Amino acid sequence: MARQAHAYHMVDPSPWPLTGAVAALLMTSGLAVWFHFNSTVLMTMGLALLLLTMYQWWRDIIREGTFQGHHTPPVQKGLRYGMILFITSEVFFFLGFFWAFYHSSLAPTPELGGCWPPTGIIPLDPFEVPLLNTAVLLASGVTVTWAHHSIMERERKQTIQALTLTILLGFYFTALQAMEYYEAPFTIADGVYGSTFFVATGFHGLHVIIGSTFLAVCLLRQIQYHFTSEHHFGFEAAAWYWHFVDVVWLFLYVSIYWWGS
Amino acid sequence: MMRNLLTLRQISRCTLSTTARRQVQNKVPEKQKMFQEDNGIPVHLKGGVGDALLYRFTMALTVLGTGYVVYELASAALPKKK
Repeated sequence: MARQAHAYHMVDPSPWPLTGAVAALLMTSGLAVWFHFNSTVLMTMGLALLLLTMYQWWRDIIREGTFQGHHTPPVQKGLRYGMILFITSEVFFFLGFFWAFYHSSLAPTPELGGCWPPTGIIPLDPFEVPLLNTAVLLASGVTVTWAHHSIMERERKQTIQALTLTILLGFYFTALQAMEYYEAPFTIADGVYGSTFFVATGFHGLHVIIGSTFLAVCLLRQIQYHFTSEHHFGFEAAAWYWHFVDVVWLFLYVSIYWWGS
Repeated sequence: MMRNLLTLRQISRCTLSTTARRQVQNKVPEKQKMFQEDNGIPVHLKGGVGDALLYRFTMALTVLGTGYVVYELASAALPKKK
Protein backbone atom coordinates (compact mmCIF):
# COMPACT_ATOMS: atom_id res chain seq x y z
CA MET A 1 0.00 0.00 0.00
CA ALA A 2 1.39 3.47 -0.92
CA ARG A 3 2.20 5.66 2.05
CA GLN A 4 1.79 9.41 1.96
CA ALA A 5 5.00 11.47 2.26
CA HIS A 6 3.37 14.25 4.31
CA ALA A 7 1.57 14.70 7.63
CA TYR A 8 -1.66 16.13 6.24
CA HIS A 9 -5.05 14.45 5.98
CA MET A 10 -6.36 13.68 2.50
CA VAL A 11 -9.96 12.78 3.35
CA ASP A 12 -11.94 9.97 1.74
CA PRO A 13 -14.76 11.11 -0.58
CA SER A 14 -17.76 11.85 1.61
CA PRO A 15 -21.49 12.36 0.93
CA TRP A 16 -22.13 14.48 4.02
CA PRO A 17 -21.42 17.95 2.58
CA LEU A 18 -24.08 17.23 -0.06
CA THR A 19 -26.64 15.87 2.39
CA GLY A 20 -25.93 18.83 4.70
CA ALA A 21 -26.48 21.32 1.88
CA VAL A 22 -29.74 19.62 0.92
CA ALA A 23 -30.78 19.69 4.59
CA ALA A 24 -30.24 23.47 4.59
CA LEU A 25 -32.31 23.76 1.39
CA LEU A 26 -35.13 21.67 2.84
CA MET A 27 -35.19 23.56 6.15
CA THR A 28 -35.28 27.01 4.55
CA SER A 29 -37.84 26.23 1.86
CA GLY A 30 -39.70 24.14 4.43
CA LEU A 31 -39.94 27.23 6.62
CA ALA A 32 -41.45 29.18 3.71
CA VAL A 33 -43.86 26.33 2.90
CA TRP A 34 -44.91 26.23 6.57
CA PHE A 35 -45.60 29.96 6.63
CA HIS A 36 -47.53 30.04 3.35
CA PHE A 37 -49.11 26.62 2.98
CA ASN A 38 -49.42 25.39 6.58
CA SER A 39 -47.41 22.16 6.06
CA THR A 40 -44.44 21.13 8.18
CA VAL A 41 -43.45 18.03 6.18
CA LEU A 42 -40.62 19.64 4.23
CA MET A 43 -39.13 21.38 7.26
CA THR A 44 -39.28 18.17 9.29
CA MET A 45 -37.52 16.28 6.50
CA GLY A 46 -34.84 18.96 6.51
CA LEU A 47 -34.37 18.69 10.26
CA ALA A 48 -34.13 14.90 10.08
CA LEU A 49 -31.56 15.16 7.31
CA LEU A 50 -29.60 17.72 9.33
CA LEU A 51 -29.45 15.42 12.35
CA LEU A 52 -28.43 12.43 10.20
CA THR A 53 -25.71 14.48 8.52
CA MET A 54 -24.31 15.78 11.80
CA TYR A 55 -24.30 12.34 13.39
CA GLN A 56 -22.54 10.61 10.46
CA TRP A 57 -20.10 13.42 9.66
CA TRP A 58 -18.87 13.77 13.24
CA ARG A 59 -18.84 9.96 13.63
CA ASP A 60 -16.51 9.83 10.61
CA ILE A 61 -14.23 12.52 12.06
CA ILE A 62 -13.90 10.48 15.26
CA ARG A 63 -13.06 7.42 13.14
CA GLU A 64 -10.47 9.36 11.15
CA GLY A 65 -8.79 10.78 14.27
CA THR A 66 -9.09 8.15 16.97
CA PHE A 67 -9.15 4.96 14.90
CA GLN A 68 -7.15 5.85 11.78
CA GLY A 69 -4.58 8.22 13.33
CA HIS A 70 -5.03 10.97 10.75
CA HIS A 71 -5.01 13.80 13.34
CA THR A 72 -1.27 14.45 13.34
CA PRO A 73 0.06 17.66 14.99
CA PRO A 74 -0.30 19.83 11.85
CA VAL A 75 -3.82 18.48 11.28
CA GLN A 76 -4.71 19.14 14.90
CA LYS A 77 -3.39 22.69 14.53
CA GLY A 78 -5.80 23.17 11.63
CA LEU A 79 -8.68 21.83 13.72
CA ARG A 80 -7.76 24.26 16.51
CA TYR A 81 -7.75 27.20 14.08
CA GLY A 82 -11.10 26.01 12.77
CA MET A 83 -12.71 25.87 16.20
CA ILE A 84 -11.32 29.27 17.18
CA LEU A 85 -12.61 30.84 13.96
CA PHE A 86 -16.02 29.25 14.46
CA ILE A 87 -16.30 30.55 18.03
CA THR A 88 -15.18 33.98 16.80
CA SER A 89 -18.03 33.96 14.28
CA GLU A 90 -20.44 33.12 17.11
CA VAL A 91 -19.08 36.05 19.12
CA PHE A 92 -20.00 38.33 16.23
CA PHE A 93 -23.44 36.72 16.06
CA PHE A 94 -24.10 37.68 19.69
CA LEU A 95 -22.51 41.10 19.23
CA GLY A 96 -25.37 41.91 16.86
CA PHE A 97 -27.99 41.23 19.50
CA PHE A 98 -26.08 43.20 22.11
CA TRP A 99 -25.92 46.08 19.60
CA ALA A 100 -29.68 45.90 19.20
CA PHE A 101 -30.15 45.92 22.98
CA TYR A 102 -27.89 48.90 23.59
CA HIS A 103 -29.33 50.79 20.59
CA SER A 104 -32.81 50.63 22.12
CA SER A 105 -31.91 50.91 25.80
CA LEU A 106 -29.34 53.73 25.78
CA ALA A 107 -31.78 56.17 24.15
CA PRO A 108 -35.31 54.91 24.90
CA THR A 109 -37.93 56.47 22.62
CA PRO A 110 -41.00 58.44 23.79
CA GLU A 111 -43.14 55.45 22.78
CA LEU A 112 -41.43 53.48 25.57
CA GLY A 113 -41.96 56.29 28.07
CA GLY A 114 -38.48 57.71 27.57
CA CYS A 115 -37.10 55.28 30.14
CA TRP A 116 -35.52 51.81 30.41
CA PRO A 117 -37.02 49.43 31.39
CA PRO A 118 -39.95 50.79 29.36
CA THR A 119 -43.14 51.87 31.13
CA GLY A 120 -45.20 48.87 32.16
CA ILE A 121 -42.35 46.35 32.01
CA ILE A 122 -41.56 44.57 35.28
CA PRO A 123 -38.01 43.29 34.84
CA LEU A 124 -36.74 40.12 36.55
CA ASP A 125 -34.85 40.66 39.79
CA PRO A 126 -31.19 40.20 38.82
CA PHE A 127 -30.30 38.98 42.30
CA GLU A 128 -32.68 36.03 42.29
CA VAL A 129 -32.63 33.20 39.69
CA PRO A 130 -30.37 35.09 37.24
CA LEU A 131 -27.68 35.34 39.93
CA LEU A 132 -28.05 31.63 40.67
CA ASN A 133 -27.67 30.94 36.95
CA THR A 134 -24.47 32.96 36.96
CA ALA A 135 -23.12 30.87 39.84
CA VAL A 136 -24.14 27.66 38.09
CA LEU A 137 -22.30 28.54 34.88
CA LEU A 138 -19.22 29.80 36.70
CA ALA A 139 -19.13 26.57 38.70
CA SER A 140 -19.44 24.58 35.48
CA GLY A 141 -16.41 26.46 34.16
CA VAL A 142 -14.48 25.22 37.17
CA THR A 143 -15.66 21.62 36.77
CA VAL A 144 -14.79 21.52 33.06
CA THR A 145 -11.28 22.75 33.92
CA TRP A 146 -11.07 20.05 36.60
CA ALA A 147 -12.07 17.51 33.94
CA HIS A 148 -9.34 18.78 31.62
CA HIS A 149 -6.64 18.51 34.26
CA SER A 150 -7.88 15.03 35.13
CA ILE A 151 -7.56 13.93 31.49
CA MET A 152 -4.01 15.28 31.35
CA GLU A 153 -3.14 13.53 34.60
CA ARG A 154 -4.63 10.21 33.42
CA GLU A 155 -7.28 10.23 36.14
CA ARG A 156 -10.04 8.36 34.33
CA LYS A 157 -12.56 8.27 37.18
CA GLN A 158 -12.14 11.94 38.07
CA THR A 159 -12.48 12.94 34.43
CA ILE A 160 -15.79 11.12 34.23
CA GLN A 161 -17.01 12.64 37.50
CA ALA A 162 -15.99 16.20 36.60
CA LEU A 163 -17.42 15.97 33.09
CA THR A 164 -20.70 14.53 34.41
CA LEU A 165 -20.94 17.35 36.95
CA THR A 166 -20.34 19.93 34.23
CA ILE A 167 -23.15 18.48 32.12
CA LEU A 168 -25.51 18.34 35.11
CA LEU A 169 -24.80 22.00 35.86
CA GLY A 170 -25.58 22.77 32.22
CA PHE A 171 -28.93 20.98 32.52
CA TYR A 172 -29.63 22.77 35.79
CA PHE A 173 -29.05 26.14 34.09
CA THR A 174 -31.39 25.17 31.24
CA ALA A 175 -34.10 24.00 33.66
CA LEU A 176 -33.85 27.19 35.75
CA GLN A 177 -33.97 29.35 32.63
CA ALA A 178 -36.99 27.46 31.30
CA MET A 179 -38.77 28.09 34.57
CA GLU A 180 -37.83 31.78 34.43
CA TYR A 181 -39.23 32.00 30.88
CA TYR A 182 -42.49 30.44 32.04
CA GLU A 183 -42.83 32.70 35.08
CA ALA A 184 -41.69 35.96 33.46
CA PRO A 185 -44.22 38.84 33.71
CA PHE A 186 -43.40 39.93 30.13
CA THR A 187 -43.31 38.14 26.76
CA ILE A 188 -41.37 38.40 23.50
CA ALA A 189 -44.26 40.46 22.14
CA ASP A 190 -43.81 43.17 24.77
CA GLY A 191 -42.10 45.76 22.61
CA VAL A 192 -38.41 46.08 22.07
CA TYR A 193 -37.70 45.04 25.67
CA GLY A 194 -39.32 41.67 25.12
CA SER A 195 -37.67 41.23 21.74
CA THR A 196 -34.14 42.00 22.89
CA PHE A 197 -34.51 40.03 26.11
CA PHE A 198 -35.89 36.81 24.65
CA VAL A 199 -33.88 36.77 21.41
CA ALA A 200 -30.55 37.37 23.19
CA THR A 201 -31.20 35.02 26.12
CA GLY A 202 -33.01 32.56 23.87
CA PHE A 203 -30.07 32.14 21.51
CA HIS A 204 -27.80 31.90 24.52
CA GLY A 205 -29.97 29.10 25.94
CA LEU A 206 -29.79 27.28 22.61
CA HIS A 207 -26.01 27.50 22.80
CA VAL A 208 -26.06 26.09 26.34
CA ILE A 209 -28.01 23.10 25.00
CA ILE A 210 -25.56 22.67 22.11
CA GLY A 211 -22.60 22.96 24.51
CA SER A 212 -24.10 20.45 26.93
CA THR A 213 -24.64 18.02 24.04
CA PHE A 214 -21.04 18.46 22.89
CA LEU A 215 -19.83 17.76 26.45
CA ALA A 216 -22.11 14.72 26.69
CA VAL A 217 -20.55 13.31 23.51
CA CYS A 218 -17.13 13.90 25.10
CA LEU A 219 -18.28 12.03 28.20
CA LEU A 220 -19.32 9.03 26.10
CA ARG A 221 -15.97 9.13 24.29
CA GLN A 222 -14.06 9.42 27.56
CA ILE A 223 -15.88 6.34 28.90
CA GLN A 224 -14.93 4.50 25.73
CA TYR A 225 -11.23 5.32 26.14
CA HIS A 226 -10.99 7.62 23.10
CA PHE A 227 -8.98 10.34 24.85
CA THR A 228 -5.33 10.10 25.85
CA SER A 229 -3.51 12.39 28.26
CA GLU A 230 -1.70 14.01 25.31
CA HIS A 231 -4.38 13.97 22.62
CA HIS A 232 -7.96 14.96 23.42
CA PHE A 233 -8.76 17.82 21.10
CA GLY A 234 -12.49 16.98 20.91
CA PHE A 235 -12.71 17.63 24.62
CA GLU A 236 -10.67 20.85 24.39
CA ALA A 237 -12.96 22.13 21.64
CA ALA A 238 -16.00 21.36 23.83
CA ALA A 239 -14.38 23.10 26.79
CA TRP A 240 -13.58 26.21 24.70
CA TYR A 241 -17.17 26.31 23.47
CA TRP A 242 -18.43 25.94 27.02
CA HIS A 243 -16.27 28.82 28.29
CA PHE A 244 -17.57 30.96 25.39
CA VAL A 245 -21.17 30.17 26.44
CA ASP A 246 -20.26 31.14 30.01
CA VAL A 247 -18.71 34.47 28.95
CA VAL A 248 -21.75 35.34 26.80
CA TRP A 249 -23.95 34.74 29.84
CA LEU A 250 -21.80 37.07 31.95
CA PHE A 251 -22.26 39.83 29.37
CA LEU A 252 -26.00 39.09 29.18
CA TYR A 253 -26.30 39.17 32.96
CA VAL A 254 -24.43 42.44 33.40
CA SER A 255 -26.06 44.21 30.41
CA ILE A 256 -29.64 42.98 30.19
CA TYR A 257 -30.44 41.63 33.63
CA TRP A 258 -28.50 44.01 35.86
CA TRP A 259 -27.87 47.32 34.03
CA GLY A 260 -31.09 46.86 32.05
CA SER A 261 -33.25 46.70 35.18
CA MET B 1 -0.15 -10.70 55.40
CA MET B 2 1.11 -8.02 52.97
CA ARG B 3 -1.35 -9.19 50.33
CA ASN B 4 -4.23 -8.86 52.79
CA LEU B 5 -3.08 -5.36 53.73
CA LEU B 6 -2.86 -4.37 50.06
CA THR B 7 -6.36 -5.78 49.33
CA LEU B 8 -7.72 -3.88 52.31
CA ARG B 9 -6.19 -0.69 50.91
CA GLN B 10 -7.87 -1.25 47.52
CA ILE B 11 -11.26 -1.86 49.12
CA SER B 12 -10.97 1.23 51.29
CA ARG B 13 -10.46 3.25 48.10
CA CYS B 14 -13.78 1.90 46.82
CA THR B 15 -15.41 4.58 44.65
CA LEU B 16 -17.51 4.93 41.50
CA SER B 17 -15.76 2.46 39.20
CA THR B 18 -15.58 -0.45 41.59
CA THR B 19 -19.22 -0.12 42.57
CA ALA B 20 -20.24 -0.20 38.87
CA ARG B 21 -21.53 -3.60 37.95
CA ARG B 22 -19.71 -3.96 34.68
CA GLN B 23 -16.57 -2.11 33.58
CA VAL B 24 -16.55 -0.67 30.06
CA GLN B 25 -13.89 -2.51 28.09
CA ASN B 26 -11.41 -0.61 25.96
CA LYS B 27 -12.41 -1.47 22.42
CA VAL B 28 -10.25 1.19 20.75
CA PRO B 29 -7.48 -1.22 19.57
CA GLU B 30 -10.12 -3.42 17.83
CA LYS B 31 -11.68 -0.38 16.19
CA GLN B 32 -8.26 0.83 15.11
CA LYS B 33 -7.56 -2.50 13.45
CA MET B 34 -10.95 -2.52 11.70
CA PHE B 35 -10.70 1.03 10.39
CA GLN B 36 -7.10 0.69 9.29
CA GLU B 37 -7.74 -2.44 7.21
CA ASP B 38 -6.53 -1.92 3.65
CA ASN B 39 -9.81 -2.78 1.89
CA GLY B 40 -10.45 0.44 -0.05
CA ILE B 41 -13.75 1.11 1.75
CA PRO B 42 -14.30 4.82 2.50
CA VAL B 43 -14.55 5.80 6.15
CA HIS B 44 -18.30 6.48 6.06
CA LEU B 45 -18.98 2.84 5.13
CA LYS B 46 -16.08 1.14 6.87
CA GLY B 47 -17.94 0.34 10.09
CA GLY B 48 -20.05 -2.40 8.56
CA VAL B 49 -23.60 -3.09 7.33
CA GLY B 50 -25.12 -0.53 9.69
CA ASP B 51 -23.15 2.23 7.98
CA ALA B 52 -24.45 1.23 4.56
CA LEU B 53 -28.07 1.12 5.75
CA LEU B 54 -27.87 4.50 7.43
CA TYR B 55 -26.15 5.97 4.36
CA ARG B 56 -28.83 4.63 2.03
CA PHE B 57 -31.60 5.98 4.22
CA THR B 58 -29.91 9.38 4.39
CA MET B 59 -29.36 9.51 0.63
CA ALA B 60 -32.96 8.42 -0.04
CA LEU B 61 -34.17 11.27 2.16
CA THR B 62 -31.82 13.65 0.31
CA VAL B 63 -33.09 12.66 -3.15
CA LEU B 64 -36.77 12.55 -2.13
CA GLY B 65 -36.41 15.85 -0.31
CA THR B 66 -34.81 17.56 -3.30
CA GLY B 67 -37.57 16.26 -5.55
CA TYR B 68 -40.25 17.45 -3.13
CA VAL B 69 -38.69 20.93 -2.83
CA VAL B 70 -38.60 21.29 -6.62
CA TYR B 71 -42.26 20.22 -6.78
CA GLU B 72 -43.36 22.60 -4.02
CA LEU B 73 -41.41 25.56 -5.39
CA ALA B 74 -42.65 24.89 -8.92
CA SER B 75 -46.27 24.65 -7.80
CA ALA B 76 -45.86 27.80 -5.68
CA ALA B 77 -44.39 29.67 -8.65
CA LEU B 78 -47.00 28.57 -11.20
CA PRO B 79 -50.36 30.34 -11.13
CA LYS B 80 -53.17 28.12 -9.88
CA LYS B 81 -56.24 27.86 -12.10
CA LYS B 82 -59.45 28.48 -10.15
